[in-house]
Amino acid sequence: MSRNVLERLLHRLCVDRREKQRFQEDLEGLLERHRLTEEEKTMLRSMDVGAMQRHGVNPMLTIGFWFENAPDPTPRAYMKALADAQAPGPARSR
Amino acid sequence: MGKIVGGFLVPHDPMMFLAPEAPPEEVRGRMWAAFEQCADRLAKLDATAVVIVGGDHYFNFGTDCLPQYLIGTGDVDGPLDVMPGLKRRAIPDSQDLASFMARHGHDNGFDWSVARAFTVDHAVAIPDRLIVDPVRTRGKTIGTIPVYVASGVDPYISMSRCAALGGAIRAAVEAADDHERVVLIGSGGLSHWIGLPQMGQVNEAFDREILSYACSGDLGAMTRLSDEYILSHGGNGGMEIRHWVVAMGAMPGAHGYLIDYAPVPEWVTGLGFVQLIQ
Repeated sequence: MSRNVLERLLHRLCVDRREKQRFQEDLEGLLERHRLTEEEKTMLRSMDVGAMQRHGVNPMLTIGFWFENAPDPTPRAYMKALADAQAPGPARSR
Repeated sequence: MGKIVGGFLVPHDPMMFLAPEAPPEEVRGRMWAAFEQCADRLAKLDATAVVIVGGDHYFNFGTDCLPQYLIGTGDVDGPLDVMPGLKRRAIPDSQDLASFMARHGHDNGFDWSVARAFTVDHAVAIPDRLIVDPVRTRGKTIGTIPVYVASGVDPYISMSRCAALGGAIRAAVEAADDHERVVLIGSGGLSHWIGLPQMGQVNEAFDREILSYACSGDLGAMTRLSDEYILSHGGNGGMEIRHWVVAMGAMPGAHGYLIDYAPVPEWVTGLGFVQLIQ
């Protein structure tokens, strides 16, 4: 089940310094190493935490992923990303 | 035989360290004072060990291994998730008793997962630092035994299994050496929505419902709460009342004394403090 692979990668992006570095420096290479769907890759590229939650990802992982990897790793920015994801409109780019 | 001499049900809110001045001064002062009161009450119990029951926040454990319940039988340190005012350091342990508890469980239908060297997260580190450490500084030797149950990541451990696990802890303590005087600390809750759009909301009605069960010692009412009810009314963080159920299960017939409670949206949860008295 793909959600599990996405959760595994998100967990590593919370706790593994090398994976976090790859996310910043070689995102496409990182994504190729995991059996993710195109939809899931898009969620990671756009850091669409709302879509991840709708996909079944545990919210503890989406908030951890955000705090460890987002350009603005603040609770305020995370909550705004969740709110934006609930509003109609295109996904944000990172 | 060893003896369970007391219990506490307390929060483990990292926001107290990350945003210490966010709530009104009167509220935050009461919450820090409640932890101090727990420490004072623990000091009077002459404990040799505390079992702190927490849950992983998808941090200690990943998709490769998600234990239903785990006990730390060896060296303990933490927290894994350091924060201002809560740096990682060694935590005094109680290896002989913890190892005995694991063996006793394995012989009696409780297949504990075991961590032989364990870096706990804030679920155990916060109550250890705020309740147990102050007693150690007064000259008492108290070892901490971390217990983790699957409350944050599915598949969740059932409420009834948590109550039974508390019973298994009690049976193990009572089969242990005479000198052991053990205190249970259920660490977590009350209502909060971790990482969800509702984060920052607190459901005081749910919190007071749980506190009423804790104070009346109504373990049956706690275990009858469905996961759907808890998630709907208490959020995904409300599932941490499982940690309270383990502590209550270890002290059948105990009633609770409410030390303090406040809904604190600035710290994204309701904070409840109860002492279990047998």
